[in-house]
Amino acid sequence: MHSPNRTPLVLSLLALVFVGLAAAFLTDSWGYPAPRPQIPLVDKALLDPATVRRSYRDLIKAKEDLSDFDCYGCHEKGHPPPLRYDENHKLIVPTEHADVVMGHGTHGRNNNCFNCHNENNLTTLQPRDGRELRLEDSTELCGSCHGPTYRDWDSGAHGRINGYWNTKLGPAVKKDCVNCHNPHSPRFPGRKPLPGPHPLRAPGVSEPTAETTSH
Amino acid sequence: MPPTVPTDPLAAAADAGMSRRSFLRTSAVLATGLAAVAASLKPLFEMEDITSAEQFMQKYYKELTPEDMKKVLARVEREVEKQYGIRPHVRDLKPMDGVEFAYALNLSRCIGCRKCVHACVAENNQSRSPEIQYIRVLKMPHGTFDVEKGDHYYASEKVPEKGFFYMPIQCQQCHNPPCVKVCPVHATWQETDGITVIDYDWCIGCRYCEAACPYWARRFNFTKPSIPADRINPNMSYLGNRPRRQGVMEKCHFCVQRTRDGRYPACLEVCPTGSRKFGNILDPESEISQILRTKRVFMQLKEDVGTNPRFFYYFDV
Repeated sequence: MHSPNRTPLVLSLLALVFVGLAAAFLTDSWGYPAPRPQIPLVDKALLDPATVRRSYRDLIKAKEDLSDFDCYGCHEKGHPPPLRYDENHKLIVPTEHADVVMGHGTHGRNNNCFNCHNENNLTTLQPRDGRELRLEDSTELCGSCHGPTYRDWDSGAHGRINGYWNTKLGPAVKKDCVNCHNPHSPRFPGRKPLPGPHPLRAPGVSEPTAETTSH
Repeated sequence: MPPTVPTDPLAAAADAGMSRRSFLRTSAVLATGLAAVAASLKPLFEMEDITSAEQFMQKYYKELTPEDMKKVLARVEREVEKQYGIRPHVRDLKPMDGVEFAYALNLSRCIGCRKCVHACVAENNQSRSPEIQYIRVLKMPHGTFDVEKGDHYYASEKVPEKGFFYMPIQCQQCHNPPCVKVCPVHATWQETDGITVIDYDWCIGCRYCEAACPYWARRFNFTKPSIPADRINPNMSYLGNRPRRQGVMEKCHFCVQRTRDGRYPACLEVCPTGSRKFGNILDPESEISQILRTKRVFMQLKEDVGTNPRFFYYFDV
């Protein structure tokens, strides 16, 4: 047993400590940790499930202005427009069609407008077998050369399908080739990626790189 | 003879062999101590996500009768409305007969744009700050499948970059899920359509499942999730995208609120390249069956660990 005259001292010291702690707790003298930086929200427009391009079929459906497709507003019927090539046998795109960037086929080999367009009726398309296809049926035209891709698209393995996987409960909307690919330069365009995961590091601490995270 | 009941505390103290002075001293110390304890408990009273008695008394998901479930859904709707001011539509969708889901991702087509990541966040009411995301997109150098060579923080000006391919990773919905095996309270299980679900009201937040998952697919709510009210998706399901509490696990559930309704998951709907394919693997005509039957190469991530995922990666160029 400790000596009886030390007990009051210990008790009063303890009491002091408790009083101090109580005061500290009540006034939050340690304070709360600094709030985390708010991570900015992602723009809702970037989450639009729309396709990167709109097809002629989409324009008809939306009842939009189709005057851009009125070829004989400028061209003359019965006179197929002439094609001009430079010395490297590259197609010279006329200024009226400056929006057309030719890049179809490796080394730009598919450089004849009338490989796909019908020279005798510019408002239609013509695959090499001589059929005449409406602009909204362009997918069949693409399939006339890209057989395996067309087969995959047909079975659903290539391309986009939106809506319902269970077609008993709702429609599955199959997108056309031109909804993603520009027929004149079909490579899918690159884009800026949406923001990555926030590293949650304090300002000044360097962002992790592939080297520092790959362990 | 019964002992006399002392009426005066001082007298009682004196009876116990205590002087007046020592009694006063002891009670002063006791009172201060109690005050200090009460003050130190202050943070507890500021807790926001307190489990309601109704939720605490709730039975296990699989033991709930349809009437019980109705009450539970009404409670969830009430709680969401109280917190976000939006009346949600919470359902408990059951797996369909003759349906087993599978997912296939075309690594030749994925450009790494991360639209799937953020569409998933929007659809599934994930916390925005701090961030919880179910999908990680790894930027991988050509010629390897070593995920440790991947970088998920890439902030390129334009994707895809030359020399890299992009591999999104999310819950693989394994046939043999290690996360389910380790859960000590059976708060996570595999349903008949192949989706491994979590009952957020049953989860105790031990994070064993997070440690068990070889794909880093599970996410933990370390803090109270924060979602702006205007970003709440009101189409909710009990085992799917209803808002979570602090201290529970969550993960990809193939958008049960959409897919058990016959629709495609949100990540697939938004993918600009059509790299993501989803469907019923028991239907031989579905696109997912076509892909698994006809595509030349497909793989399951970390095949060697024996989890047998329902998520396949394939190439076709």
